[in-house]
Amino acid sequence: MKIAVCVKHAVDETELKVDSGGNPQLKGAPTKMSTFDKNAVEEALRLKAAHQGEVVVVTVGTPEAKKTMKEALAMGADKGVLVSADPMAMDTRRTSELLAAALKKGGPYDVILCSEGSSDMYSGLVPPMLGELLGLPYVGYAKKIDVNGQSAKVERALEDSVEVVEAPLPLVVSVVSEINEPRYPTLIQIMQAGKKPMEDLTPEALLPGAGPPMPLVKGMKAQAMARKRVVFEGPPEETAKKLVDALAAEGVLPR
Amino acid sequence: MPIYSAEHRRLMETFYPDHHQEYSEVLSSLGAFMEKELLPLSPRIDSGEVKMAGPRKALLKQGMCQIPFPEEYGGLGLPFSVYAAAIEMLGTAEASTCLSVEIHNAVAEGLDKFGTDAQKRAYLPKLLSGEFLASFTLTEPASGSDAGTMATTAEKRGGEYSINGSKMFITNAGEADLYLVFAETKKGPSCFIVEAPNPGMSFGEDLRKLGMRGSRTSEVVFSNCRVPEGNLVGEEGKGADYAKEILHSARIIVAALNVGIAQIAYEKSLAYARQRRAFGKTISEFQLIREKIADMKTEIDAARLLYFYASRIKESGGDYSSEASQAKVFSTEMSLRVCDSAIQIHGGYGYTTDEVHRHWRDARLLTIGEGTSEVLRMLIARRELAKLR
Repeated sequence: MKIAVCVKHAVDETELKVDSGGNPQLKGAPTKMSTFDKNAVEEALRLKAAHQGEVVVVTVGTPEAKKTMKEALAMGADKGVLVSADPMAMDTRRTSELLAAALKKGGPYDVILCSEGSSDMYSGLVPPMLGELLGLPYVGYAKKIDVNGQSAKVERALEDSVEVVEAPLPLVVSVVSEINEPRYPTLIQIMQAGKKPMEDLTPEALLPGAGPPMPLVKGMKAQAMARKRVVFEGPPEETAKKLVDALAAEGVLPR
Repeated sequence: MPIYSAEHRRLMETFYPDHHQEYSEVLSSLGAFMEKELLPLSPRIDSGEVKMAGPRKALLKQGMCQIPFPEEYGGLGLPFSVYAAAIEMLGTAEASTCLSVEIHNAVAEGLDKFGTDAQKRAYLPKLLSGEFLASFTLTEPASGSDAGTMATTAEKRGGEYSINGSKMFITNAGEADLYLVFAETKKGPSCFIVEAPNPGMSFGEDLRKLGMRGSRTSEVVFSNCRVPEGNLVGEEGKGADYAKEILHSARIIVAALNVGIAQIAYEKSLAYARQRRAFGKTISEFQLIREKIADMKTEIDAARLLYFYASRIKESGGDYSSEASQAKVFSTEMSLRVCDSAIQIHGGYGYTTDEVHRHWRDARLLTIGEGTSEVLRMLIARRELAKLR
């Protein structure tokens, strides 16, 4: 089985600072493999362990993205493909087009895995776009994947239910973090990851004649969340009911 | 703040301009492991609710102990400073596991340096992979720093040695698979490998300690403990020299461990000072608290540089014994000052909460263990005065 995992080298959201104007300080911020992408890599390695084959990690990124690539290789992936371009300077459609072109070039793949969204921008658009661009079925938000012969049974973690679907291979699947617990590469695996093959591709070679990517809206602000600071007073049996009613009115209780 | 912090990254960039990226990858991965698998368990390891053996095994499997050893025995062949930085991080995450691991690795280093080829082949891969845990058995009930008064003996009979006597305050006692034992022979102090179990080796009760409560410490008793003559490490009569060498190196590591302990006490203090309010403002706004914060930070960074400096001299093959002693004296006493300030900043909560005072309790061991501050000052001064002759 040939498995591809699309990953992103992203700003470490746990280290992100916001300036006094509410603007995230992206320049010089620490970076790492996008958090949920580790789950996608882990799932690919589990599929490989169960069905044999090869795991190829594909990313669109600056040279710094090689760090993420090496991490995925240290976890156990066999090969890396880096499309040299800055995903933060292009729209998700162009990122998806580049990934799709790289996947076509290195394919065919039986399973293409992504995470549900990157931990920096979290648009969640790339996986369905990949399905569309490659003409493959797309199954989103997988919490369990069972590949059986030429099809896959996938449990999708939806907001308040789990949907089980079956789709033929090849397919694109995005995974949620509860699908697995990503492994830690051992130090020896980290040291050896640099020796694994890594292919460099350029946007010009993959998409000759493509125009400039769609311009990005400039500027992002951290969402300001004001607490409502509602206090219910009275005996517990009364305040508990008031609390439940208030939460229901806010629409935050499960249906 | 991540355990592998921006400070560590800068230090690697400064000391290793050509290789810092590789070393940072190793350390940040190890830091992420410690943050998730050890740091949250640390309070429960201190309280005795969780045994440290499981997390320690997982850490050794990750490759923590492989860092400074040759690749032919399963090591990574990385500089000693990288290992020292990993120890600092482990000191931050879980100090008593760090103590146990530090002793384990000191034994591995001793075998790598003084063991025969056969001993290295037989034991180093097992020690570096975490299959075996090691213990360093030197101190005795009536002899600590004064190793010349050792009462444990090893008598050669045929193709074997018989070891008799007892050792005290032994870390990893009863848990280890391999004991590096120092005993007197006709030619003087000598060093032996004793594999557990051995019918001639028994262990006392786990001693109740002020801190470092996760690590097991007890007496080890040898009663006609027979080992093959092939278990003699190096040459008979050279044991004191070997012990000294192993301890010089371990002192750098203990210095790093204490920087790690001070670091977490400092970070907790910083967070608390920012949120605790008094007289209408956070206590971090008061100058006397700011003075403490500035002093804590400065001392931690100074101690880190001292252990790095000693590590780098060791890597270059120079005599680092005095610098290792300086690093240990300064770092262990510094961490007590920092942890004391942490208690002071936390006020009543500092005195009554394990989460604050356990760092002081952990740090308190190490002005005593592996060379007391007094003995190390003696060595530093002796070396300085000898320069005038």
